Amino acid sequence: MNRNVSRIFAALFGILAIALPLFAGDYPLQVARNIMLYMALAITWDMLLRSGQISFGIAGLFGVGAYAAILGVIRAGMPAWFSIIFAAIFSGVVAFAIGFLILRLRAMYFSIVTLALGEIFRIIIHNLHDFTGGPEGVVMQQGVIFGGSAGKLYWLTLAGLAVAIAASYWFEKSKIHFALTAIRNNEISAKSSGVNIFRWLLLAFVVTSAIQGLLGGIFVQSYGFATPDTVFSADFTLLPLAMALLGGVYSTRGPIFGAILLGLVSEWLKLKIPYGHLVVYGIIIIIVILFMPQGLKQLVRQPANKTDRRSA
Amino acid sequence: MSKLKTENLTRRFLGLVAVNNVSFSMEEGEILGIIGPNGAGKTTFINLISGIIMPSEGLIEYKGQDITYIPAHERARMGIARTYQLIHPLENLTLIENVMVGSIFAKGNGLKEARRRAEALCQELGLTGLDRDTSRLTILEIKKMEIARALANEPEVLFLDEVMAGLNADETKDIIAMVQKIAQERHLAVGVVEHVMGVIRELTHRVIVLEAGELIAEGKYEDVSKNPRVIEAYLGGGAA
Ligand SMILES: Nc1ncnc2c1ncn2[C@@H]1O[C@H](COP(=O)(O)OP(=O)(O)OP(=O)(O)O)[C@@H](O)[C@H]1O
Ligand SMILES: [Mg+2]
Repeated sequence: MNRNVSRIFAALFGILAIALPLFAGDYPLQVARNIMLYMALAITWDMLLRSGQISFGIAGLFGVGAYAAILGVIRAGMPAWFSIIFAAIFSGVVAFAIGFLILRLRAMYFSIVTLALGEIFRIIIHNLHDFTGGPEGVVMQQGVIFGGSAGKLYWLTLAGLAVAIAASYWFEKSKIHFALTAIRNNEISAKSSGVNIFRWLLLAFVVTSAIQGLLGGIFVQSYGFATPDTVFSADFTLLPLAMALLGGVYSTRGPIFGAILLGLVSEWLKLKIPYGHLVVYGIIIIIVILFMPQGLKQLVRQPANKTDRRSA
Repeated sequence: MSKLKTENLTRRFLGLVAVNNVSFSMEEGEILGIIGPNGAGKTTFINLISGIIMPSEGLIEYKGQDITYIPAHERARMGIARTYQLIHPLENLTLIENVMVGSIFAKGNGLKEARRRAEALCQELGLTGLDRDTSRLTILEIKKMEIARALANEPEVLFLDEVMAGLNADETKDIIAMVQKIAQERHLAVGVVEHVMGVIRELTHRVIVLEAGELIAEGKYEDVSKNPRVIEAYLGGGAA
């Protein structure tokens, strides 16, 4: 696609996204909000993936942020806007601490541990009944942000998405791109080029976790309550992952396309067949992974005409 | 003071002693050949010096400083660079980006400066088509890229682990001249591992010979190649 054409498209899309609450009703706004939330999570998942680390811990850090925000309001009397920033900081600090333990792990071991982390957070919140409200969760009586206005909540989520997109571009355009790609391609030769692998992995893990926490804070401010089962739902891990895979990984654009497509399709299916959308959706993912390992991006790019390399 | 030296350097893998009690030193401006039959421990020796693996015993000193347990990425920053016998291009980066990595992380250059320096390096080594994927490079171009990547660290000590393997006679000549020029202009200490003795004779000032992890001979190629123990190692050597 021509660079300028795609830029114009992106600009138009951005304007449309910002202006949507001026003419759309509550239902489309609700759908759009959902899609943007998952899109932002998909982007953060991809950002860490660029280092070769596959995380199943999105829901964990999202949930930690969600609880940090709601408990910040209820227990510490934080203003609503500040609780969202606090959520980001809290998830970032948690990621920093556990990063020291788990970022020495690779491949499957890393993935499984991140999956377990989410479960551990959920259990902790379950059991700290007096502080967290336990399995029944907590409700914000007052201090819901914007008094629950649909349009303003939409813009809040859009702002969260903007943070994720901006961070992703930062990763793409700075030396972080070189560090993460080198680590993903070959850790040994990355080291020989002076890349401090642990440091860059920690940076990527903390930044993506902080944004996941931020989104958790936005989510909980949008609904005014949190229970362990809602905010640590596996959906927050699996849907973003599927969206990024569908759209194409290692880029900002891929997860955006994937989220729009999968978000709209699953919304439409939800109306047609209750719960059936999950099945259809699973099938889509399997087909994509089997036949289009690079996601939809593959359709846009020309197939590489690679010359054979003489073997050494 | 030597640029680089080891004392009693030893590395064991389970029962096997891959590098056994090796003491050597390298001076500025020197091209040193590291030879020995297959499995002698040459690559392991370079891995130890570059910090890719840690020694079981012994000492590594660089410009008078003990670096025995310093991590690999820090040694890269201090000025120790190397290429790999099994080539490791970063396949999701283009040719020029591959070369930029060392400049960014070992030298701490910004992206613009790193690109400028990488372009100059590529030009010096005769690499063109800098925005190509590494999958589109010929074997000669890959080898040059590997050398360029190591030089991007702006090293003082450089190890080349069988960079000429897989190249034809003309290409080999090309690389020999290139290595000589690079070493001279930059006052590098270069360690070269090669199996082709013609290359060693032409390129090196001095050689060390490893056999089963031990340093068995040292000196000018002409003298070492007449050493009975070396002849024995090559003729009687198991793998080779
Ligand atoms: N990571 C490892 N684990 C176990 N054994 C190893 C390891 N690396 C090397 N070795 C063993 O150490 C010995 C020395 O290997 P090395 O690769 O250093 O030899 P080399 O002199 O470079 O050989 P070649 O000329 O074939 O490249 C070999 O017996 C090899 O099998
Ligand atoms: Mg070897």
